[in-house]
Amino acid sequence: MTGRRGVRGWLDPRGRHSGMWTLVAGRVAGIGLTCYLYAHLAVLSLLTRGPGTWDRFVAIAGHPAFLALDAVLVAGLLVHAAHGVRVALQGSGLLIGARRSLMVALAVVGVAVGLVAIVLLFN
Amino acid sequence: MNETTDGEAAIRVTVYRRRAGDTDPHYDDFDVPYRPGMTVLDILMSIRSHQDAELTFRHSCLHASCGTCGMRVNRRERLACVTPAGAPGDQVLIEPLAGAEVRSDLVVDMRPFYESLDAVGRPLLRGDEHNHDGHRLEDCIECSLCTSACPVTATDGRYAGPAVLAATERVLREPRGHDAAAVLERADREQGAWRCHLALECSQVCPAGVDPAGAIMRLRRDLLRRHLALHVHRARNGRRS
Amino acid sequence: MQIQPRETARDHMSPAWLWTVQAGSGALLLGLLTAHMIAQHYVADEGLRSYAEVIAWLRNPVVFTTELAFLVTVTWHALAGLRGIVADFGPSDRVERLVTRGLVVLGAATVGYGAWLLVTIAGNG
Repeated sequence: MTGRRGVRGWLDPRGRHSGMWTLVAGRVAGIGLTCYLYAHLAVLSLLTRGPGTWDRFVAIAGHPAFLALDAVLVAGLLVHAAHGVRVALQGSGLLIGARRSLMVALAVVGVAVGLVAIVLLFN
Repeated sequence: MNETTDGEAAIRVTVYRRRAGDTDPHYDDFDVPYRPGMTVLDILMSIRSHQDAELTFRHSCLHASCGTCGMRVNRRERLACVTPAGAPGDQVLIEPLAGAEVRSDLVVDMRPFYESLDAVGRPLLRGDEHNHDGHRLEDCIECSLCTSACPVTATDGRYAGPAVLAATERVLREPRGHDAAAVLERADREQGAWRCHLALECSQVCPAGVDPAGAIMRLRRDLLRRHLALHVHRARNGRRS
Repeated sequence: MQIQPRETARDHMSPAWLWTVQAGSGALLLGLLTAHMIAQHYVADEGLRSYAEVIAWLRNPVVFTTELAFLVTVTWHALAGLRGIVADFGPSDRVERLVTRGLVVLGAATVGYGAWLLVTIAGNG
């Protein structure tokens, strides 16, 4: 009878506010990026198999489906980075009075950088 | 639109139910006659008076100053006495505060929360007890809504929680005879200020505008400065850090 | 009144220290990751460098050192973050210790394997 929301509460931001949404988004992105780190290392191991294997992979990686995955990666990085910058700054006691402004500013910068990065990715 | 059996406009209310000895909670639905200006507490009183005398909940002052009637209304922490019930046809979900043991229905065990506040000296002075110029020092009504809303206390009962950390910051600013060093040391532990992830829910739901999140951020700023000063002191004295 | 945090034997693993390193590694990653993404993904003609280009690129000592620093920083940041998430679910002290040790081993293995990859790739060709 603890009344704790448990894992479901952490994953269920219904009824919660922007800070909680950014926390959940930042953490989900962080877990995804950790998985990507290991996938990336696995892909890089192709380089130990010689030029043929790697250059074949490079040809496949230019496919739009692969680029779409890269776009998801860029989005995840930006979501995690924006949340991290907010937590690092305000968790150190900086910009305490500008919570909403900082959140909005980071969202604007994140979207702008993301759009440029994704456009460049497909060009 | 919901109606009572008498054809009155009604609000459909779903209430969390759990009694001592129950293995699992369940939810009961009630159609409560709508009255203009009614609050969630009015709804609960109506249910208890006319539909289910066994429904248990706490209340006291009826004007948001005692902090007794804290609960979750439509998944958000609220004081039932000042939360509008909604309009006819609305659906209202009422659950007990999270992060505390449910004693019965909407009543949770507040003792651990009060004991945690006692441990830091319970420094939250209410209202204008010592200040007559209209500037209120601290308005915490110890309702525990912040603790319920915090995503960390939601999953880990070891975390000190927003109210206690806000009280800690208050003690450090103005010790008034409290053991500030001991209070600081407790806040500097793993289950203290460093567990906050700035979801900011505590400040969002606080009905008294205390801003526990701001207090935690100030507390961490103080802790970082003090740790930095400690390391500088050690470095100057040629000791290993 | 100036109150100092009490010195403890485990001060190097204090939560304040862990939090600061996590925030610092995140700040460092902003720079390292931006450099990595631009250098490896945005300036290459095909979107990725060819085998010969990768080897030539990694043979530059500055690039090699930067990529190694990136590997260490990102591994620390990722696994310390994972530990923080696990800790938020209130595991017992025993489980938390096991998770921490497991992540330390995983981190060492990750950095070891990544460093071996870098050395091997730079040594090829």
